[in-house]
Amino acid sequence: MLTAVRELQIPLLAALLLGGCAAKGWRVLRSRSMAVAMDPAGLFPLRLRRPVMIVMCATEFGLGLALLATAGRVGAAGSGLPATTVRVAAALFFLVAVGALNETRQRRPDAGCGCFGEFSDTPIGWRAIIRAGVLCAAATVTIGLPPLRMPSPPTTAELLLAALAFELSLIAFLSPEIGEILVRLGYSEPCELRRLPVGRTLTALHSSAQWRRYAGQVSAAAPDDVWREGCWRFVVYPGATRGRRVDIVFAIYLQARRPPIRVAVLDADTDEVLGRPGLASLSLSRRL
Amino acid sequence: MRLLADIPRWCDDVTDSASPARFARRSLFREAVLGRRDESGFSPIAAGNGGTADAERSLVYTVTGRILDVSPHVLVLLTERGEQRFPLAASAEAWRGGPVSPAALRQGDHAIARRRQPGGPVVNRIWAEVGRVTGTIIERDGPASLLVDEGPAKGRRIVIIGPEAAGRIQVRFPRLEPGYLIDVIGLKHDGFLRALIPATSQPPYLAGHPPAPPLVNGHVPDPVSGTAVWHEPGEEPEGLLGLAYPALDPETSCERTGSATGACSGDLHAVDPHGTGPGCVRLPYLSVGSLLRLRNDCAERSRLLPVTSCGATARLFCDRYVTCGTSRKGRIADLTMAAFVELGGALEARCFNATMTIGG
Repeated sequence: MLTAVRELQIPLLAALLLGGCAAKGWRVLRSRSMAVAMDPAGLFPLRLRRPVMIVMCATEFGLGLALLATAGRVGAAGSGLPATTVRVAAALFFLVAVGALNETRQRRPDAGCGCFGEFSDTPIGWRAIIRAGVLCAAATVTIGLPPLRMPSPPTTAELLLAALAFELSLIAFLSPEIGEILVRLGYSEPCELRRLPVGRTLTALHSSAQWRRYAGQVSAAAPDDVWREGCWRFVVYPGATRGRRVDIVFAIYLQARRPPIRVAVLDADTDEVLGRPGLASLSLSRRL
Repeated sequence: MRLLADIPRWCDDVTDSASPARFARRSLFREAVLGRRDESGFSPIAAGNGGTADAERSLVYTVTGRILDVSPHVLVLLTERGEQRFPLAASAEAWRGGPVSPAALRQGDHAIARRRQPGGPVVNRIWAEVGRVTGTIIERDGPASLLVDEGPAKGRRIVIIGPEAAGRIQVRFPRLEPGYLIDVIGLKHDGFLRALIPATSQPPYLAGHPPAPPLVNGHVPDPVSGTAVWHEPGEEPEGLLGLAYPALDPETSCERTGSATGACSGDLHAVDPHGTGPGCVRLPYLSVGSLLRLRNDCAERSRLLPVTSCGATARLFCDRYVTCGTSRKGRIADLTMAAFVELGGALEARCFNATMTIGG
């Protein structure tokens, strides 16, 4: 049973290492800047942070893959040296992480560990340091293990699942990222803060009934002005009606599907409102 | 796709725009289409042009100009309307690198003055040659000379810390090193600012790593509270009544995303505030020409102000103002000097607690 629990650590450590690398990479890809993901290298001088981050990510990726590759019969065949080397390296990696996290906590108490990208912005606490220690211990107990095999008796499998559940719960308890993930899962950014490309707004406008109603009066292919205030984006087209030059103003509510659209027509020379919505004042952050 | 190709022409850059009047018409259009009414007769761009009757109606407390003559009783300024004489109140105070008597001001100084009564002739506060630099230190030359990047819109400034101010500035800004933020007030000179007053305490983080704001549920609070600061006019008209807003719509305000990689060594430390996240206050996206009602909670005075430029550098600071009660964390508006003085702020006092209502 004890051997089975030790074996369990290998896929678990590999998943965490690969997950950490993926989360960092995802953060860099999303922001298109390495600078945002440099928290884990905060102890180094500015010019070294970028290479240190690249090395750290590559190490996580390499160790994660190597743990999996050397877990079965292929890697552990022969002397078992490759598997032992990888597992010792993983233990050393987490041991260094314990020291680095502790040092960062003292020198930059406001900084997050960045272990799992943007989910790890919470300032480093004892939980993150203990988590690295637990993972170091988990890597240490895998040293010297024989090749992994599937648990044969069902009772062993059940015990293994129970051990896995306990260990995952422990890691979740030690991970401030879990709270952040749960908040984000239930979070919908207010429309005032949501970025929405102008192109999507124009596409929504051009497929609307309001556009079809006023398209005959529009005299230019492109709008004169486009701007945004809160949840509304405004688009002004030049136009002509009954021989008068007019400005046709569309207000499009910023939501992805079927946005409410309001229209007003103003005389371009006198700014007199010729066609006006019949509704009362609308807030910049509320729907119709 | 033809329409997408036209997006750059909507950029909210007041200085580059061929037709700034379109910003002034935005509030009119918004009112027409949403049925929302703002204060009538307010034209942000007219106020910006200065020298017109509208400008005079807009700036009721503030006068800007160059000092032609000054005596203990009269201040003569060369303003956009020509030479103007202002009687000085007996209690009039002046600032020129520190508190001085009005008679100590010099001919040729650029001054901004506040009237005692709205529209009245008597002046009771004068600031001469006051300047401010807010941004990221990108080079340090010796113990007292800094090159500061104020963001993509404003460029770079040289700051020289006077020996008489070195102590008090270093207490508030212990890391005068590339990559860290600085915000100082001082005397303007040709080509540099002589820093005299620290305008805040230095944030502990590097400029490129401001803390993330809390998530907002539902809608953004309106009104929103925080601190309001001021900036030098730069390329703006001196009497412009408006504010640089920290959260212009990134889709139409031509934000430059990503770090610039140029040939200068200082570019290693230059921070584009547009690429560092929303700052520590979540503000709704607006555009140049949007109207806001800003209230100085310390002086209990409020004005309807238009957004006149991008104030993304304000996102990098998460400070508070504590002189009249502790403000909420974060800068919500970067006012023009004229607007700051108009709202009752003292330029050497750095900032004030503010409450901002979107749309007036």
